[in-house]
Amino acid sequence: MASSAPPPALTLPPSQFARLQPHAYLLAHLSPPASSNQPSLRANGRQPAQFRPTSANTGSLTHTNGSAVVRVGDTTAVCGVRAELLPTSDIASWSVSHASSDARKRQQNTTTTTKNDDTDADAEESQIQDLHLLVPNLSLSTGCAPGFVPGAPPSALAQSLSHQILGLLHSTRLVRAEDLRVWYQVPTFGGDEEMEVDADAEEEEEGQKGQNDGKEIKAFWVLYIDVMIVSLAGNAFDAAWAAVLAALRDTRLPRAWWDADNEMVVCSEAVAEATRLSLRGLPVASSFCVFEADAAAGWRAVIVPDAEEEKMIEEDQRRGMQRRWVLADPDGYEEGLSQERICLVVDKEMGKTVIVKMEKNGGWAVDGRELKQLVDIAAERWESVKQILEQC
Amino acid sequence: MASTLPTLAIPGQRLAPVSSYAAGPGTHVQNANIYASIAGPVLVNPASSKTAKSTLSVSRSPLRTAAPAAPQSAPKSTAPGPSKLRYNTLPAVDSIVLARVTRVQKRQATVSILVVLDESASNKAGPPPTTTTAPTGGASDNDNIEAILSSAANPENHSNSDELRFQALIRKEDVRAVEKDRVVMDEMFRVGDIVRGTVISLGDQSFYYLTTARNDLGVVMARSEAGNMMFPVSWKEMRDPVTGVAELRKVARPF
Amino acid sequence: MTDRRRINGPPSGTRPAVFASSLKSASGAATERPRRHRQPNELRKIFLKTGLIPSASGSAYLEYEPSASLAAARSSPQSLIPPSSALKLACTVHGPKPLPRSATFSPNLVLTTHVKYAPFAARQRKGHIRDASERDLGVHLETALRGVIVAERWPKSGLDITITILEAEDDRWWGDAPDSHDAPWGMMNVLAGCITAASAAIADARIDCLDLVAGGVAAIVSDDEAAEEGNSSTPKLMLDTDPAEHKSILSACVVAYMPARDEITEIWLKGDHSKASLGVDDSSLGHEALIDGAVNAARGAHTVLVEAVRESAERYAGLSTSDS
Repeated sequence: MASSAPPPALTLPPSQFARLQPHAYLLAHLSPPASSNQPSLRANGRQPAQFRPTSANTGSLTHTNGSAVVRVGDTTAVCGVRAELLPTSDIASWSVSHASSDARKRQQNTTTTTKNDDTDADAEESQIQDLHLLVPNLSLSTGCAPGFVPGAPPSALAQSLSHQILGLLHSTRLVRAEDLRVWYQVPTFGGDEEMEVDADAEEEEEGQKGQNDGKEIKAFWVLYIDVMIVSLAGNAFDAAWAAVLAALRDTRLPRAWWDADNEMVVCSEAVAEATRLSLRGLPVASSFCVFEADAAAGWRAVIVPDAEEEKMIEEDQRRGMQRRWVLADPDGYEEGLSQERICLVVDKEMGKTVIVKMEKNGGWAVDGRELKQLVDIAAERWESVKQILEQC
Repeated sequence: MASTLPTLAIPGQRLAPVSSYAAGPGTHVQNANIYASIAGPVLVNPASSKTAKSTLSVSRSPLRTAAPAAPQSAPKSTAPGPSKLRYNTLPAVDSIVLARVTRVQKRQATVSILVVLDESASNKAGPPPTTTTAPTGGASDNDNIEAILSSAANPENHSNSDELRFQALIRKEDVRAVEKDRVVMDEMFRVGDIVRGTVISLGDQSFYYLTTARNDLGVVMARSEAGNMMFPVSWKEMRDPVTGVAELRKVARPF
Repeated sequence: MTDRRRINGPPSGTRPAVFASSLKSASGAATERPRRHRQPNELRKIFLKTGLIPSASGSAYLEYEPSASLAAARSSPQSLIPPSSALKLACTVHGPKPLPRSATFSPNLVLTTHVKYAPFAARQRKGHIRDASERDLGVHLETALRGVIVAERWPKSGLDITITILEAEDDRWWGDAPDSHDAPWGMMNVLAGCITAASAAIADARIDCLDLVAGGVAAIVSDDEAAEEGNSSTPKLMLDTDPAEHKSILSACVVAYMPARDEITEIWLKGDHSKASLGVDDSSLGHEALIDGAVNAARGAHTVLVEAVRESAERYAGLSTSDS
């Protein structure tokens, strides 16, 4: 380290050097002196594109409909999904017309729904968003890292993460609105009609009968998705999202029906009758940050390099002088040293990578070409996360 | 007698009667017996004189070598030296600390303490002994690379992290030993400099007091206005190697 | 009510699911109150591990072994209603760190404790903001720890102890009337777990302590089916009670106990123990037996604590022993 370390007057043990000159410390690891023949590694020993070891475990929390613990390195996220009922009678804007029109629309779609899961177009899919049926909240006030005061209102980071999760849940349309509806077949021929109809029977019945007789939604399931970041060591979003995904995959909703006698929705406690959510796809998040060799880059005025400078940068790169590194799955130390962040959420459909979300902020270093490479890395990450989630 | 001592103690474990040892850091005395008060290896410091008893203590410094995560460039700290044991990991009077300047005012500079080096008021001119790899063993976030790497900065906590560190003041009259009356704080420190100082007083509820009035104390790392690391050229000047511009500082003597 | 810093659900609120079986008052429910399979003085196994949260000065994770009924429900799930639950909590210690600027000078270590349930920790969804019982737990925990820490060794600094409860203990069996005026017995088990975990985390942070303080719970229960109408029931003393397994807990006690000094730093006794004559020897009063029982339970937890802290010390000192 001494060879690459700028401070001339001081020999410091690595722990102090890491603390006093974090930037130089990380830079010394990433660009070791050519003479030393050492590979360019991060201070945590990882390759620039290497993610931390990840593990997931589901279903260990007793009082949840679905739960997961995801560890990405030293960052640990615990997610619990709790389902509660929202009776349509409690929804102020809900009206009968709404309900019946909904049934009709739904009917038109039933054929496509059953045939092709991916292209279903549920006209009322927006119900999830309109009625706030998914309620994700992330908490950092768990003592997960120094600096987050327990008991204080959610910090800006916690709020931002909660909203990112909510936004992603909505934009990926991960949860199907149909899974959250509790239907009721209004008896038409006296009382001998089956009241408790589950999804398949429902559809057949509807096919036989006319369209107007009443199937109505009596209630919705609301999913409270709570993420506790138990340990924070950087890149909370990837871990939190993976935990949400794993917990939703683990979630089972009890069979629920309208009990006309009690005028309420009741559920069956039988595990065999409970249904799992049928999620759309498996969007996996991969975050990156950009570390720049120029420590002052963060606060110097940004000047877009002209063609000549561009050439110089390229030349430098050819000579092996790297000036910036894109680091996958940054830990807390690296996050503190970089301005530019990239978050990619990708899914794969029939072997093809689909970008679900791409967010980049805080800098201008990464261009389109590099983003393409990152998408490839994110696609690789998708494969490994998929494996981890399927095994748990 | 020593054979009955455990190598590793946990809090509440009885170590020895006070008749045979003196109680040192990491222990406490109860009913004429020495008990461990922290978990760690048990150490016996031989008595300095024949009449005195050996001191029994539980070490809070793990004497960690480099974390496995940083294998290639870590200077090895192999020799476990006779680092003096301490009752806590807080800055104490005569502690040598490394601190970052956070504010420069006319009469004083505010710094936030990053590392507590060694408690001994060592006058020896030499690099801080590498054996004190873990000068602040108790606060594991202070010395443990894994902990530093995982926590160092929360993205939103740049301002907050100073609140997690102990704050100290360097008063104008404590900057240097000579020409005290001609000290201009702006020419001594700039915000962001890393300063080596020694604690002269525990101060009030919020600040420790530091002094840099010694040749080996003062600014050890600084960036120029252009943002480059500077090197010291004299006791009051540092130079930017890129631009060649010199800036004034109270420079610590390089070794 | 509206919390603008959090994502709120439907404005009208939601209702927890009502299971059909619980509507039938005729106790035809297939599930029955879980039974205690342990001996009266047999404790549940405790899993305790330190140092899982590296950004904290010290940390511990504690988990109780699931009761026989819960384990059975896990291995072959039949009902969505869990028969009981098992405590799971994470504890972190941050500090010693500077006191906030507004604080006055303190020559001692200032201890702050904070206990929070995760929203999904209990049978009933918990709010995001600490409620009275959580604050109460924090205060009890602070008293339990204050007597243990050698605070004068850490002048003008603060120590934050934060506990996140991921799964709490039940206050009673779910099948019992939810509105019964029964005390929240589960809180006492939670407190005992908090004490043990915090003790491990403080030792992991290398803050000076007089001893490893451990938490333990004992209760006087009357379980006999026949006891429902007659007074002839003989209440029994049980250690480490799982409230879900008992029909009626007469009184319970939690202690924070330091075995090396034989001292109690915190004692919390609830319920009516005056009438509970434990039969055999009348001289032993109800509350004395109760405290002794809780102390015995704490001794049991202490053995786990010792192992966890020893492991922490070995991990911490591991490299130094190879050096010297």
